[in-house]
Amino acid sequence: MTMIMESEKYNKILNVLRVSKPVLDSTEDIEKEVIKRISKVKKPIFNLSEVIDSLFGWVYIGWVRRTLISASVLLVMIFIYQQGVMLKQINFLSRQIIDNREEMRFSTEQQVEKLLMEYKKPRRGFSSRSITISEKQIKELLDSVNDVKTKYKDLMDIIQNNPELKKLYDDKLIENSRTKIKL
Amino acid sequence: MKMKPIRLIIMMILMMVISCDEPETVVSNYVHSDGSVTRKIEMRSAKNNFKTFQVPFDNTWTVKDSIEISAKGDTVWIKRAEKLFKNVEEINLVYKLDTGANKIASRHAGFSKRFKWFNTEFRFSETIDKQLSFGYPVRQFLNDEELKYFYSPESVKSEKEHGSDSLKFRALGDSINHKTDRWAYKNIISEWIGEFTKLTELKDGKGISVGSLKTHEDDMVKVVKKYDKTFDSLWAKGEILKEFIGETDALKYKTEADSALSYAEKHFLIDFKKYSLRIVMPGKLTGTNGFIDSSKVLLWPVDSDYFMTEPYEMWAESKMPNTWAWIVSGFFLLFVITGVIIRIIKKG
Repeated sequence: MTMIMESEKYNKILNVLRVSKPVLDSTEDIEKEVIKRISKVKKPIFNLSEVIDSLFGWVYIGWVRRTLISASVLLVMIFIYQQGVMLKQINFLSRQIIDNREEMRFSTEQQVEKLLMEYKKPRRGFSSRSITISEKQIKELLDSVNDVKTKYKDLMDIIQNNPELKKLYDDKLIENSRTKIKL
Repeated sequence: MKMKPIRLIIMMILMMVISCDEPETVVSNYVHSDGSVTRKIEMRSAKNNFKTFQVPFDNTWTVKDSIEISAKGDTVWIKRAEKLFKNVEEINLVYKLDTGANKIASRHAGFSKRFKWFNTEFRFSETIDKQLSFGYPVRQFLNDEELKYFYSPESVKSEKEHGSDSLKFRALGDSINHKTDRWAYKNIISEWIGEFTKLTELKDGKGISVGSLKTHEDDMVKVVKKYDKTFDSLWAKGEILKEFIGETDALKYKTEADSALSYAEKHFLIDFKKYSLRIVMPGKLTGTNGFIDSSKVLLWPVDSDYFMTEPYEMWAESKMPNTWAWIVSGFFLLFVITGVIIRIIKKG
């Protein structure tokens, strides 16, 4: 009888303990501790597969994939076409070049200006500040080129007027054209 | 009314062409990608006497005078003028206000820019409007080879005529002279017919039809050639007009015929001083109707013959690559190719 009484008492106390909430002294401290522990949990900083999935998620969407591939092919075709046409035009023009020493000859000043203008173009890869050659030097260079041109013309005149020299010259030209590598 | 024989008119034009009074002028247009144009004029003369200017410039230009002494000891006076034009409209305004030696010619410049993703295309042109309203294009009289030679700079012609194939080019030159002579006769007759029929229609509302005169155009040319030396007196007497349109109409429309001849002469015999034009384009040169030197500088001779019956357009086209578009396209291609490779790997 006594045993039964004690057992009931025990169960009652156990139930009271189960139902009653624990008394917390400092909830704030507990909160802080929890947050601290959570923040200490290491998260992966960079997940490559996630990035790839988000960046290239479109490959799994049929119509987006097809559109982007078509756009790429179109872009390549446009590029090939445009550059092809341009090369064809440039090649055609290079065959039209005339070398007229009188009319095409620039005055020294014009030549210097043209050369400087060419060098100053941003796409040349260096700025006008990097030119260390003086205008005087360019002038001298152009004068010497013009001088060489004049001498070349005189030489050509001599060759044209001398059948033997002309034959020798023509033979040499043919020989050169045979060995010339076409770029 | 005193009328000049047509042969004399042609001779006068030739004399004007070879006249040495005007300075040897070269106009250079340095075209920039934003449409602005640096225009430079270089005038060379054996005399320090720059009075006639083929191309207009004023005190807003930077002008420099200098002299050069050739190896032979000859002194050449040089006047250089330079100005940066913001756009071609500014050049056109200068042409519009021109009071110089070539004010008679209607000249204008044009610039266009087209974005084509990988490249940007540029086109620059200078055009001189035609003088005659009823003339024939010179290409109807010359074949392709002759046309090319006809439009060549004088120095190119001279070099060819004194080079190794001198005989061939002299014969070509003679052939062109013969044909352009006929072209000149046809033009002046055609211009006269056009104006004459217009005036006769204004006179009585009926006039003489263009068609009826056009059918006899070749005969008229023959008549003019036949009476070349006595043209002046015979025209004044009305003899030539009688052969053209018959006695009755010749008497009826004598005044109109005189006015039409005067009109044709005025438009045919223009006072134009020749010069040369150069263009330097931005980027790679891709097309032109000018002469190209080894440094890709373009040249056109500007002479009155070239714009007599057709507008004379000197044009050049170039392309400039858009670097940023190339980079963007490269990244895009890389992105798509990578995506496709990833898909293949994951699928596999």
